[in-house]
Amino acid sequence: MSPALEVKEVSKIYGKGENKVAAVDSVSLALNQREVLLIMGPSGSGKTTLLSMMGCILRPTSGEVLIAGKLVSMLSEDKLPDIRKHYLGFVFQSFNLFPSLTAVENVELVLRLKGCNKENLKAQAMGLLDRVGLVKRAHLYPMDLSGGEKQRTAFARALAGDPPLILADEPTANLDSKTGRDVLMLLRALAEESAKAIAIVSHDPKAEELAHRVVFLEDGRLKA
Amino acid sequence: MLWLAVKTLFHEKVRLIITLIGITISTVLTLMEVSIYLGVMGDATAVIRNTDADIWIASKNIQSFDFALPFPEHRINQVRALPDVLWAQKLFLSWGFLKLANGGREQAQIIAYNPDNGIGAPWAMLEGSASDVKGGRYIIMDKTSEQRLGKLNSGTLWEMTVGKDQYSFKLVGLSQGIKSFTTVPLVFMSYNQFKTLAQEIGWGDQTSFIVAKLSDPAKADAVVKALRATLRDNDIFTRDEFIHKTVMYWTVQTGMGMAFFLTAILAVLIGGAIVGQAIFASTMEHLREYGTLKALGAKNSEIYFVIISQAAISAAIGYAIGVIVILLTRGGMEQSGVSIYLSPILFITVFFIILLVCLLSAYFSVRKVRMLDPVTVFKG
Repeated sequence: MSPALEVKEVSKIYGKGENKVAAVDSVSLALNQREVLLIMGPSGSGKTTLLSMMGCILRPTSGEVLIAGKLVSMLSEDKLPDIRKHYLGFVFQSFNLFPSLTAVENVELVLRLKGCNKENLKAQAMGLLDRVGLVKRAHLYPMDLSGGEKQRTAFARALAGDPPLILADEPTANLDSKTGRDVLMLLRALAEESAKAIAIVSHDPKAEELAHRVVFLEDGRLKA
Repeated sequence: MLWLAVKTLFHEKVRLIITLIGITISTVLTLMEVSIYLGVMGDATAVIRNTDADIWIASKNIQSFDFALPFPEHRINQVRALPDVLWAQKLFLSWGFLKLANGGREQAQIIAYNPDNGIGAPWAMLEGSASDVKGGRYIIMDKTSEQRLGKLNSGTLWEMTVGKDQYSFKLVGLSQGIKSFTTVPLVFMSYNQFKTLAQEIGWGDQTSFIVAKLSDPAKADAVVKALRATLRDNDIFTRDEFIHKTVMYWTVQTGMGMAFFLTAILAVLIGGAIVGQAIFASTMEHLREYGTLKALGAKNSEIYFVIISQAAISAAIGYAIGVIVILLTRGGMEQSGVSIYLSPILFITVFFIILLVCLLSAYFSVRKVRMLDPVTVFKG
């Protein structure tokens, strides 16, 4: 069985000639179902660039990205939104929730985007919020939610449409220590209970304890 | 994604109100300018449009209905001689001065017609009948002239100066809503009565217009061509040509049309600018969310749809409020003497213009989203 996600010799190079900089340099790794992979490294090490390429948001300069065994790094620009829509869920450092939508509507939006059954969208969205323990706060707008609640809403949104892969960029960066730990535990539970493959970019030491596997990135290269 | 467009639009109430005020003002100004222009042009051509004639013969080089000069009335025989002419009638248009109760005088436009057949007669009678002017110094005036003349009552006597002399006329009827472009009160009287006055000022054998009805209106162009060959000292028009000539005079030669349309165009552009600015500001504010949508798998077209829907919804609501304002104020404006012509076609046309401008104003927002790189969403 092929890994949920695989990157092979992936590089991202910016600039030309003498100004050429490799943000990510020949990185290879695989991510399996029910696994939480933690990508660590100092600022500027290329973590987010690697995550962007894994999420089909950024096209690698060279190398291959495979999702469920399917080579996606060679797909044309107009095909990539469909890959992201059906295979990937994202969690962002700044939550990126729609301020004009309530928590449940933020989740509902992605269900609509992914073409889920329109008859019980609200119920599905509430179900996802239930999984992250946020049903009672479902009808509040993001401005009325705490940082942890916003990030839980973002998790529920990432789970909408049941994507096999979840990519999380610094999910604890804007949270206090306890909330950050709760969020990471939630991610691990989601991976195990829902058979998700989860990649987390973080430099939060707490994340190490909860990840199944940790890789370190430095100057765009994986450290042994 | 219409759902998202609606949610976002109505969530930002202040921005929505500002946008709607802009579109409403734009709609009101545009509809007002165009409807007043059409109303005034309707007044300017009212007699032509409401006279059942296919051909109009006027003095040479006439510029509009209101500026007719007298010409020999015997030329009517050349018109009647044509086989396609069913009948031909004379109309006189002249000017006089009505004496007011306070001793002042008010200019009046006189239209003299044959009360036996009613060609050129007032067409919307409130009191009396168009034939009542027959057989004496009888006149019909319009209710709208009360603004200039005071209360008009049937049976009252009016002194009017025609030429050098003053004559007394009895008001025998009132029409409703018949106005001239110049807003000067209209006075209708019988052709024969006016002729007795005209004798004294040397216009006894003159007329202002000869109007003709054809047995087959489709032959109007051919009859006009034939008349132009024989009546070289006159201008000959089909009914539509004379309407067009009159409209073009007031629109182009007086510069009035330019003033009206420039204001209307500016109103539309200002509305478009307000909507464009509001939508662009909203797009810039939501750029991160749009980037998130892209990262989550939304296609550019789906995000464009959100922005364009917001522009269209704003246009529709703002336009609807504008129409309500126009309909509520219409009565008051008409009572104050302003001619307004509103029609379903005008409403539909202005709606599509407002909609188009609002959609075009969303262009910069759409372009911004097209250039948006979803990678930006990973930046904290």
